[in-house]
Amino acid sequence: MELAPSATWLIASQSARFVLREKTVALLAALFVTLVLISAWLGWQATATVDRIYIDAAAFLQKSGQPVPSNPVLDISPLSLMRNMSVYVALIGALSAIVIGNRLVGLDRKAGVLPLIGTRPFSRATYAKGKIAALGGLILLLALIAGVIAAATFLLLPAVVPNAAQWAQLAGFIGVSALYMAIFGLVGLGAGAAARSETVGLLVPVTLWLTLTFIFPQLTANLNPTAAINPISALAPLPETPFFHAAAQFLGPFSLADAYKFASAGLLDYLPQGIASPAFVPPLADLMLATLLAATFAWRALTRLSMAQGDYNV
Amino acid sequence: MSDAVLTPSPVRTIAAKDIRDALRDRFILIVTAFLGLAATVALVTGAIALRGDVATYEAAKATLLAIGKSADAIKAPEFYPLRLLRGAIEQIEIIGAAIAILLGYRSAASERGRQTLALIFTRPIRRWQFVAGKALAGVGLLAGGLALVLGGLTLVLHLMSGIGLTADDLLRIAIVWGVALTYTACFFLFSFILTLHMKQPSHALLVAFAVWLLLVLIAPQIGDTLDPDNQVAGGVFKQLNIAKPDQVQIMKGFATYETLRDGIEQASVTKHFERFTFAVLGIKATYAGMPLGAILTEMLGNLVWIFLTALGLGALALALPINPDRLSKA
Repeated sequence: MELAPSATWLIASQSARFVLREKTVALLAALFVTLVLISAWLGWQATATVDRIYIDAAAFLQKSGQPVPSNPVLDISPLSLMRNMSVYVALIGALSAIVIGNRLVGLDRKAGVLPLIGTRPFSRATYAKGKIAALGGLILLLALIAGVIAAATFLLLPAVVPNAAQWAQLAGFIGVSALYMAIFGLVGLGAGAAARSETVGLLVPVTLWLTLTFIFPQLTANLNPTAAINPISALAPLPETPFFHAAAQFLGPFSLADAYKFASAGLLDYLPQGIASPAFVPPLADLMLATLLAATFAWRALTRLSMAQGDYNV
Repeated sequence: MSDAVLTPSPVRTIAAKDIRDALRDRFILIVTAFLGLAATVALVTGAIALRGDVATYEAAKATLLAIGKSADAIKAPEFYPLRLLRGAIEQIEIIGAAIAILLGYRSAASERGRQTLALIFTRPIRRWQFVAGKALAGVGLLAGGLALVLGGLTLVLHLMSGIGLTADDLLRIAIVWGVALTYTACFFLFSFILTLHMKQPSHALLVAFAVWLLLVLIAPQIGDTLDPDNQVAGGVFKQLNIAKPDQVQIMKGFATYETLRDGIEQASVTKHFERFTFAVLGIKATYAGMPLGAILTEMLGNLVWIFLTALGLGALALALPINPDRLSKA
């Protein structure tokens, strides 16, 4: 006899399918995948250009009788080819996760089906578990696509051969990226459930994302917004003032974009020597704590969702 | 006196009503405060970092003088007060554009959400007047918000810089305000058009944000990433100890690559805004201390690009017929 699927599984799979049918979600997901592909090309192209510049510069220096320094490309790990991927995860990946989280609950609210769902023989906790599981599944799918593209790039470029430890680091980077997207997805899910209007449900997590991506790095490291989205410029040393040292240490744990930046740079081998996260909580632990906090928020909002109300209040 | 004089034009009536609505629900005040906060943080942190640089320079100079050496060996940090606006300008180019998208969305979605669009069109009003009134209100709100933010920043800068701002500085900030308004108006109009014409307003908002991501963050980021000097910490030429004139010589061999990189950046209206404002404010070192007239002449291409984008979108908003199927909430 075939076992009936659990209510959590039914909610998760049906929600994920419903969200994937949304054109905007498909658009953002397609944009993410395209940018991940571009990031692989960018990494390769930029590194190859530096290599060609070095060859020209070395010839020039030799001709003028000056000493020729070592090629900076040789100091770069093959993994750092993927450094732009961390920027696209922080930009489009996080935004896609917010939209997925918001749509997972927003579609039910907008369709006015919550009272109907409320008549089914399962608790709101089951509903919450199903929605969180759907979000987790969709984010893992996005991360997996990014991982496959990164792996395929390394396999297709014969000059770039990562060793076993570097493959493990790449897997770690994909895991950290999934964690980072999950934080925003969970906030999107929670805000979508708690907000009185559809727009507020989307705006709250987007505002949080803007704050973490563009305002906090200025407070913690005087990083201007455009520097914050360049994987190399974002790792500049702290300005030598007591203010930035204190801000980086105490505000650092709240600056999730910084934590993701340091975790990614460490895993993809492009963290410059002598530079480390100045926050008192290590980046990975920080991201895990933030995921836990976001999951708690999403859980509370989903389990308090009124099943007696159809559409949004306003 | 004729009725035409006594009765305000429909464009003015719609614009005034939209502005009243926006001020009543405090949305515009909240988002302006958010932009103001982001820009002020950028200004203050930039000033703190500069103060740190000055202190480091003074300490190094004192050490050199104490051991009887000349202080000429170390370069004094340059101080142009307007340069401290760099972070704030970047916040306007990113967050300001996002706020403009939200305003455009709300402006169009409010009538669809309240099902009032059909009612408005039963009145003696032309459709272009409705669109023009809405656009006027949106641009007016953006103008007010940006004036508040840039005015506040100017005040902070004047008090913090210690040397005060000159009339030339104030003129440059006023020009930046005008260009920032035109730049953000592009995003307002784009989002307004999408929300008014797409089947689902919420989809329009997401599409507008996807385009914002591409134009504001991704195109400049790709251009920036492809810059060879950004690939190695500290810069590739610095690491190879190559002087500026020799760098130019070497980069001549990469003309096609640089053209491609520049083309990607040029495709984004944001990059034109950045290039123009960075030049006018002297943030880019080559324009620091240059007379305003010369900068405006050199930056005319960027200015034309921004204005043509806004004008094109404005014309499109007026020209597109409003589909009766889009009159109500989807």
